[in-house]
Amino acid sequence: MILTGPEIIVQKRRGRIWIDPFDSEMVTTNSYDLTLGGQFLTYRDEVLDVRKKPKYNMSEFSQGTTVHIPKGGFMLGHSSEKIGSDHHVPLIHARSGVARLGLFVHVTADLIDIGSYGNITFQLFAARAIDLCVGMRIAQVSFWMSEGEKELYDGKYQGSQGPVASMISQDIKS
Amino acid sequence: MILTGSQIKRSVEQGDIVIDPFDECQINPNSYNYRLGSKLIYPDGNEHPFDEDGVMLSQGTLVLGATYEIIGSRKYAMSLIGRSSVGRLGLFLQVSANLGHTGSCHRWTLEIFAAKSIRIYPHMEIGQISFWRNNGAHRLYVGKYATKNVPQTSLLER
Repeated sequence: MILTGPEIIVQKRRGRIWIDPFDSEMVTTNSYDLTLGGQFLTYRDEVLDVRKKPKYNMSEFSQGTTVHIPKGGFMLGHSSEKIGSDHHVPLIHARSGVARLGLFVHVTADLIDIGSYGNITFQLFAARAIDLCVGMRIAQVSFWMSEGEKELYDGKYQGSQGPVASMISQDIKS
Repeated sequence: MILTGSQIKRSVEQGDIVIDPFDECQINPNSYNYRLGSKLIYPDGNEHPFDEDGVMLSQGTLVLGATYEIIGSRKYAMSLIGRSSVGRLGLFLQVSANLGHTGSCHRWTLEIFAAKSIRIYPHMEIGQISFWRNNGAHRLYVGKYATKNVPQTSLLER
C-alpha cells in the first residue's frame, strides 16, 4: 500500500518519515516533490569497470543556475532534501513533466532501503539534450508500507551528502 | 505492501518464493540482489562471448542478459530493478519494464543498456528484485515468457 499525501504529512509529524527541509506545499496526491541540488558528479573514466574505483569530477552551481546535459549524457545529481524512514519504503520517481522531456532521474534503481537516510543521488540520463535549473522540482518520492520484520539499512551510502559515486568496487566478490 | 528482507527469507523457506540458488548474503532490507548470468544476446539474436574476464559494453549499447538465479512466486508480484551501485554507473537493467507477474518462475531476461561505457562480469550481483503482496483473486501468468531460462529476444512479432 502506498501512502497518500495527507498520510505523508501525518507520518512526517509523527517522526516516522524524515524529510528535511519539509514544505507541505511539496506534498502531492501520493508523493512528495524533490528539488535538484547544486552539486553534480561526472565520471572521468573512458570505460567504467565495476571492479575499479571510478574517477570523477565534482562541480557546484548556485540556485537558479542552468545546467546542460547533452543528448545521451549521464551525470549524478542530488536532492536538496534529506529523506528517509524506518517504517516505510521510499521509491524515487521522475516528475511526469520532467520525464516527458526524456530525462531519467534514476537508472532502474528506484528503491531506497528502509532505514537509509540522506540526500538522494539522482542518476541523470538525458534521452535528449536538456537544460536543468538548480532548485527545480525534478523528482518525487513515494512511501510504501512493508510486510514482515524490519531490518534497517546500515550500508555504505548511509548519510549521503550531495551526489555519491558508485562504491560497487568495494563489494565485488567474483 | 512490499516484503522486508526477513519476510523474503521466510517466504523462500515456506516455498512461496523461489530463488535458486539462494544465498542469505544477497538479502537487502526490502529486496534480494540477483546475479548476472554468463550469456548475453544482442536484440538481433547474435550471442556475445562472455567469460570471467568480463565484457565491455560501449556507451549506448543495448544487450539482453539473464539472471543467474531462477526467480519466481505464485503468491507475490515482483519488481525487477537495478542496484543503486550499478545505476550510479549508468547501467540500466531493464527498459521501463520492471513488473514481474505472479506465476512467472525462470531466469529473468535483463534489458541491459549502458549510458556510459562499462565493463561487467558474469555472476556479479548486478540488480535486485522486490516482492509485493497482491490484492484480489490470483490468475497466474502463463504467457510466452513465463518459463524462459535464457535471455529471450522480443516475441512481439510472433
